[in-house]
Amino acid sequence: MQNQRTVADGLRVVVRASVYAVLGGAALVAIATVVSVLGPLLALDLYTPPVAAWWTVFTAVAVQGVPFLLLGTVVSAAIGAFVPDRVFRRLLPRNPALAVPVAGLAGVVLPGCECASVPVAGSLMRRGVAPAAALAFLLSAPAINPVVLVATSIAFPGQPEMVLARLLASLGTAVVMGWLWARFGKEKWLRLPGRGAASAAATGPRAFLTGLQHDFLHAGGFLVLGAAAAATFNIAVPRSVLDLFTGSPWLAVPLLAVLAVVLCVCSEADAFVAASLSAFPPTARLAFMVVGPMVDLKLLALQAGTFGRSFAVRFASSTWVVAVAASVLVGWWLL
Amino acid sequence: MRRYGPAALLLLTGGAVLRITLFGDLYLRYVQAGLRPYLIVSGVALVLLGVVTAVLHHRPPGPHEDGPHEDGDHEDGDHGDGDHGDGGRGDGGHGGGARGGDGDHELGDHEGGDRAEDGVHRGGGGHEGHSHGPAGPRVAWLLTLPALALLLFPPPALGSYSAGREAAQRAAQGVGSFPALPAGNPVELTVAEFSSRAIYDSGRSLSGRTVRMTGFVTHGDDGTWYVTRLLVTCCAADATTGKVEIRDADDDVLPADTWVTVTGTWRPKGSLGSDAAWPPALDAATVTRVKQPADPYEKA
Repeated sequence: MQNQRTVADGLRVVVRASVYAVLGGAALVAIATVVSVLGPLLALDLYTPPVAAWWTVFTAVAVQGVPFLLLGTVVSAAIGAFVPDRVFRRLLPRNPALAVPVAGLAGVVLPGCECASVPVAGSLMRRGVAPAAALAFLLSAPAINPVVLVATSIAFPGQPEMVLARLLASLGTAVVMGWLWARFGKEKWLRLPGRGAASAAATGPRAFLTGLQHDFLHAGGFLVLGAAAAATFNIAVPRSVLDLFTGSPWLAVPLLAVLAVVLCVCSEADAFVAASLSAFPPTARLAFMVVGPMVDLKLLALQAGTFGRSFAVRFASSTWVVAVAASVLVGWWLL
Repeated sequence: MRRYGPAALLLLTGGAVLRITLFGDLYLRYVQAGLRPYLIVSGVALVLLGVVTAVLHHRPPGPHEDGPHEDGDHEDGDHGDGDHGDGGRGDGGHGGGARGGDGDHELGDHEGGDRAEDGVHRGGGGHEGHSHGPAGPRVAWLLTLPALALLLFPPPALGSYSAGREAAQRAAQGVGSFPALPAGNPVELTVAEFSSRAIYDSGRSLSGRTVRMTGFVTHGDDGTWYVTRLLVTCCAADATTGKVEIRDADDDVLPADTWVTVTGTWRPKGSLGSDAAWPPALDAATVTRVKQPADPYEKA
């Protein structure tokens, strides 16, 4: 059985390698031909301003995400390889209902934007942290860390209540989502982060490196996917259409909440974008800042890759609803 | 090839990041200057990780690793990332181990074995390949798109197309007094700074001063033209537009996206803080073509 499999695998690898060699060779020849002969002509025709802008935004989102993604995967690989399970068991209350707010508040310690928090949450779950608590951390970390809060206070000078509102609404959403998961979540929705290598059980430097490499490549691929989606919306949806909706607060809040999803602005920058949307009521801008770090296309791709698609869709849609509700409540109270 | 795929991808990504940060200023087309050190560190780390990964895959796992895990490692390295059946089994088992294995190795491995079947099922159960863990690393090949783009033909900085697509935005702020302008004649200002002083400065610090600004040309509907600059906070995806209307005696029309430096004096219009005051206008004395600056954007 084992031998048969090995032989079959070997054959498969050989066949696949030769197919790849042929395909790759043909592709290379084709590319070389096109580039050398038709290149200049074709490039000028296809490289219209929108296409060029698409590439620029696409690469920009990807480049911008790389350091944060690497930070996130380094932290997550370190958690996986060096931190024993019992540390988390000691730090977090046993009762999930209590662990959720504690984990939500712990989001303060991870400086960075949302790309970093997905792999970290994945590795927390792998280390035996209750999913509800890890999810609360996932949502709160990119929204309430000091870097983001300082950026918010710079973007809204003289409006400290905006910073407070963002903190409260984001933390509230994270905790509510954690509790919702603890109460209604089903294990089967969640495909726990699989890492091909042996590193989940293994520890030490080698496991760290294998985990880091795997997590970064895996999440990096999804970051690229999200960047492509973000660039497409960035180019396809002119922001001037927003002016149609500025009048009614009932439309403005959901509109900006949707905009936050499709624009995928990094959580460290979204306050400035929100500040520039000055025609909208403050509550709508708050919703933009609360939803953005928790639900956007880039995150959806990352979450689908890390936790599975059926989880990502359920989780993202309910987070969106909770985040909008929290923004409206806090906005009505504070702003 | 496949064996060294992860290493190659890491080297490619790290190389692309280093090419735009360490060897030139290209990164300024995509992100703002403050990110450079982090990008360089990331690039170096990725290249190192790529080298280490290649070495690790070259050398079989050391004897300190216990049997079952070694097997898993092997599977991942050789065909885990493409192969549905095997990758699925490896990963399913692995995920199960992480879930069930509460420190007890024996138990963890058994659980892993049980869930392995599960993994295979799900692997064949009509999930899209790329959103599925076992086939996960395949998605990593997408990294080649931005990496090769950066290495071979770096996308240009955003220009008049992006500026024209969205209504230029004003920084949201109230009318108030500004700190005194720096000395100098002409005084060097950013488009954003000029705009906010022109529209919101109750002290009218711009009046009587000759200012100089650099930006690219965009055209309005009725023959007006603007010196425009995109403002970027974090990366090019959040670019917003700042522009100043240029009134000059010269009749020749510069093509859009031409970079120019204009020198002139502020022409007040509208009342402070009102819509009529925007976009601000400048009576230009001289307009000179310049090369695109290293940082094509202004920091918002």
